[in-house]
Amino acid sequence: MKNIYKKFGIGLTLCSVLLTATSCENSSSYEDELPSIANIAVSNDAFSTLEAAAINGGVAGVLSNSNPNDASGDYTVFAPNNSAFARLGLDESTLGVLQTPFLTNTLLYHVSNGNLPSSAIAANGTSASALGGLTRRFVSRDGSLFINGSKIIATDITAENGTVHVIDKVMIATGGNVVESAIALQSASVFKNPELSYLVEAVVYAELAEALSNPAAKFTVFAPNDQAFINLGTALGLTFDEPADVRMIDKDLLTAVLLNHVFAETSKDSFTSELNAGSYDALGSDTITLGTYNNGVLTVRGSGNTSPANMVIPDVQTTNGIVHVIDQVLLPL
Amino acid sequence: MKINLKLLGGMLFMLPLTMAAQSPISGFMKAKGEGSITVTQSREDYSDVFLVPNKVNSVPVFNKVTTKSVSLYAEYGFSDRLNFVVSLPYIQTTGEATPATLANNGFENERSGFQDVSIYGKYKIKSYEVMNGNLDIIGALGVETPLGNYDVDEGLQSIIAIGNRSTDITGLAIANYKHNSGIFAIGQVGYSLRSNEVPNALISELKLGYAASVIYGDIFIANQLSSSDGVDILGQGFTGFFPATRVNYTRIGANMFVPIVKGFGLTAGINTYIEGRNLGDSTGAYSGISYSF
Repeated sequence: MKNIYKKFGIGLTLCSVLLTATSCENSSSYEDELPSIANIAVSNDAFSTLEAAAINGGVAGVLSNSNPNDASGDYTVFAPNNSAFARLGLDESTLGVLQTPFLTNTLLYHVSNGNLPSSAIAANGTSASALGGLTRRFVSRDGSLFINGSKIIATDITAENGTVHVIDKVMIATGGNVVESAIALQSASVFKNPELSYLVEAVVYAELAEALSNPAAKFTVFAPNDQAFINLGTALGLTFDEPADVRMIDKDLLTAVLLNHVFAETSKDSFTSELNAGSYDALGSDTITLGTYNNGVLTVRGSGNTSPANMVIPDVQTTNGIVHVIDQVLLPL
Repeated sequence: MKINLKLLGGMLFMLPLTMAAQSPISGFMKAKGEGSITVTQSREDYSDVFLVPNKVNSVPVFNKVTTKSVSLYAEYGFSDRLNFVVSLPYIQTTGEATPATLANNGFENERSGFQDVSIYGKYKIKSYEVMNGNLDIIGALGVETPLGNYDVDEGLQSIIAIGNRSTDITGLAIANYKHNSGIFAIGQVGYSLRSNEVPNALISELKLGYAASVIYGDIFIANQLSSSDGVDILGQGFTGFFPATRVNYTRIGANMFVPIVKGFGLTAGINTYIEGRNLGDSTGAYSGISYSF
């Protein structure tokens, strides 16, 4: 009997030694496993803002798992890197300026069902996003491929649940028309603080809302932000304290000025990736002069501007056009 | 050197209560009527996390996590063969999420509370004199269950949850060989059945040390392999419910105990993970005081 225990004891000791030694957790046991898309965002320092956005926007869990809406179980994600978010002043600490539903929708606009490898991406093609099927379009420029106004800077990062391509700009789609999009900003549905409030007031005052809501049009719009209008007021010797103050400007004059912010060409809207330096006819009587394409943006100038305006939020896709938010009102001579 | 093993047994209780990363059961038995009460405080922190397939260098949301605990541990010899062990940790975890991140997500940087009480019975099945020493075969069975009402289902906030809210039933087989010189080796293997979607786990530990009347010291390697029905964090099946994750690890450490006076003694230890899956790569230390009777 003693021998049984002795053998058992020695056996047990050996067993624990073996177990401890051989069952040791070892990364080599899963080094062949692929990370999920969410894991790629978490693991890569260049995606720390995207990681925070995915957590904040509630899509981190979704992108950890296979896609239930596609037979392949895969997603394709065009992932903006930290620099892309920084263009909009966004990083992990400033994401809170955005309304969460807008953030979630923005993330979904970067996602599509199934695998879309770079080999299947061709200029002039389109891809439906996971945001209600809103499509993105591919553009070729200077030997690079773009999705909307965003340059694709790395391709085909393979994840367990799909494919990741890296882009240099955040893509924004509102799901509404030009006017609805401006109202979304004005009503703080995008940023928690209202933006484009003066523009919305001006469009209503100038009775252009209906024209800019035309579903058949494809507008290219340069939308001055609130500070641009406040600065305009100052230049005119007025003080703009609230959006209604734009009504101090003569209605016909303001209407003409606003029409100078839209390309006359309304059958084809343009992302920055599709814009080049030069003069373009506006819907109004003036021309819009674009500066050189530089790292994803172009300067914009009306005949009367002493210095060109800069794009602060380029490439906002709406259902009837593309809006580039700028920091000055474009002025006629 | 012939040492009084019974006296030694009365002094050794060693509960480095740095969470579950070390077996809660020592390989030493207390004699009938003898017991000990130990209070330890521990601290460990991590910023790296063992994810699959790669370790990441910052804890999602919380960046860096520090865990402090105060633990009460008592052991009593109901007989020479049957001992009972009770432990209860109070745990505080602190993250370093930025104020903006906390505000955006509605998270908090701290969670604290009483965690899980555990009660083990250990029974010396057989003691056998062999190879100039003594071999004890010990079986232990215990239950561990949440005492505090801490939360584990707060989504990513639960990255810093203080426990899993699971009730575990753990069986352990222990072999303790003590050479008359004071050198000893203890092997443990066991299996833990766990509730609340926590995967069951195979646990094992190997400890080598020296025990004499003036000092005790050991080094150990401890291992946990969770059932593969657990999920990986940010992997297939992950819903944000952390108790369901498959937590594996290999941890190494060292423990020390020095008797001071009249049954009182001081204990201290350090430990760190060398490999893991779905847990923080933490390094910690503890110290404590114990009273034996």
